[in-house]
Amino acid sequence: MKFFQLMLKNPFRNKIRSVLAIIGIAIGIATIVALGIITEGLKESTQETLRAGGADFTIVESNVSDMFLSTIDEGYIDKVDNISGVKESVGVLTSVQPIEDSPYFVVIGIDPSKVGLSQIKIKSGRSIKEDDEIIIGKVAAEKLNKTIGDKISIKRENYKIVGIFESGNIQEDGGAFISLKKLQEIEDKKGKVTMIYVKAEKNANIEKIREEIEKKYGENLTTIASLEDLQSVDQGLKTVDAASWAISLLAVVIGSIGVVNTMIMSVFERTREIGVLKAVGWKNKRILTMILGESLILTLIAAIVGSLMGVAAIQILMHINMGGFIRPVYTIEIFLKAFTVAIFVGILGGFYPAYRATRLEATEALRYE
Amino acid sequence: MIINIKNLKKTFDNGKIVALDGVNLQVDEGEFISIMGPSGSGKSTLLNMIGALDRPDSGMIKVAGRNLMKEKDLSSFRAREIGFIFQLHNLIPNLTVLENVEIPMFEGPYKDKMEERAMELIEYLGLADKADRRPSELSGGERQRVAIARALANDPSIILADEPTGSLDSKTEKKILEKLKELNKEHDVTIVLVTHDPRVASKASRIIEILDGKIVGG
Repeated sequence: MKFFQLMLKNPFRNKIRSVLAIIGIAIGIATIVALGIITEGLKESTQETLRAGGADFTIVESNVSDMFLSTIDEGYIDKVDNISGVKESVGVLTSVQPIEDSPYFVVIGIDPSKVGLSQIKIKSGRSIKEDDEIIIGKVAAEKLNKTIGDKISIKRENYKIVGIFESGNIQEDGGAFISLKKLQEIEDKKGKVTMIYVKAEKNANIEKIREEIEKKYGENLTTIASLEDLQSVDQGLKTVDAASWAISLLAVVIGSIGVVNTMIMSVFERTREIGVLKAVGWKNKRILTMILGESLILTLIAAIVGSLMGVAAIQILMHINMGGFIRPVYTIEIFLKAFTVAIFVGILGGFYPAYRATRLEATEALRYE
Repeated sequence: MIINIKNLKKTFDNGKIVALDGVNLQVDEGEFISIMGPSGSGKSTLLNMIGALDRPDSGMIKVAGRNLMKEKDLSSFRAREIGFIFQLHNLIPNLTVLENVEIPMFEGPYKDKMEERAMELIEYLGLADKADRRPSELSGGERQRVAIARALANDPSIILADEPTGSLDSKTEKKILEKLKELNKEHDVTIVLVTHDPRVASKASRIIEILDGKIVGG
């Protein structure tokens, strides 16, 4: 018998208790995994939004808590266009509209003549020309079960679908484009856009252009070229990141308490047995290793179970109408984090019970009834 | 001389309870002695001192050439020199007979051939067909034989048995005691047996009587 085999046998002597402990920790791990998958997806689609249309950088309102709450005067588009090195810039207005069964439908307003600048590819039909025309993403087309020639109603006005596009960006593919003017009217935001995508000349110094914009219009505008830039501006992403860490910490604390409880009970019940191990000459180090090992076995099983639960939870969320909004992004880091947390909990929660086991007096332990 | 004890004292509860009150005892290698006395006489405490499960307050105790008053690594002393047999078998319930016998070997000389060695001992005690059974599937006498096999695991120089037949019927008791005697004769293992029962004590070649922490006879 290997020492490892011996450790593997012990946690399941009291099956119910061990299974309960594993479920407790697994729920924490599942939360970490699910949240990680959502956060990664959010970061990735945000990054895609920033890079929409192959833009080199994006301009949003300065001092705004969330990128999508930004409001910029349309007039800045021309001003930005005039800065040397800028090839062209396009302003878009982003809005969320309830459409049919879908409460969150992203409608983006764009100058019809500049649709070509955006990253979207028209898969079938054509682009918008008139104010009563709309193009929808392929995910939206599937979800709404609409095709070219059908009508979509936004705020009691009908729009004719003239094309279906694909962009690779989850929010765009699940949404639609209409003319900027029309959307400004609907949203009562005349002359306003949410952000401006800027494309620089081929050999232009992007940092220099950004500096110039910040210098001239810094009071009202901020330029964002990367997710890192955005994270320093966007409260939403900061909050999600902080919440993710807070939940992980909570999972560690609750999980550790569960493990301490389970392992203390286990050591307590085996008092005599530990006395025997001491009598036959086991060193304290070996007893400590055994109990810690048992604790780690519990938490590692919980990590596997929890990871599966987390992935399953995301799959369920995807199926209940959130599909257009959540795009799961599975990275190895998410699962590494889950296992790191599990190992940490295993050591943290197992150490005190293991230490107590080594402190037992052999003669007392052997007398224990 | 494998055990040499001089003026050994041990108190519990901050000196209120005197368990050993100046014990002197010499045991030669290969002897089979029994320590007899009523409960509370200090016989188990004395056994625990010989087995280095507990440290004395004062006096001198040398076992298998080691000075236990000064020895730092008592656990490896126990692993190499001592085999314990308790009144209750104290086997680990979720392990098989074979695995229970392997337990002490993690710290001993047979680390690398545990299974082979354990099987040998199980066969010696006539339990070969029970190697894969769990303790709950065995009779009281069988369990105690497993406990003897476990005590022999690391080839100890001394076997310490604390009321080893205390929970057995007289027929099984006889068998177990015969096995211990055989072990002593054929394998030259020193045996120290603690009991309150004169009939059990009489199986030994020398009987030591202890009362109130003092050797009073033998």
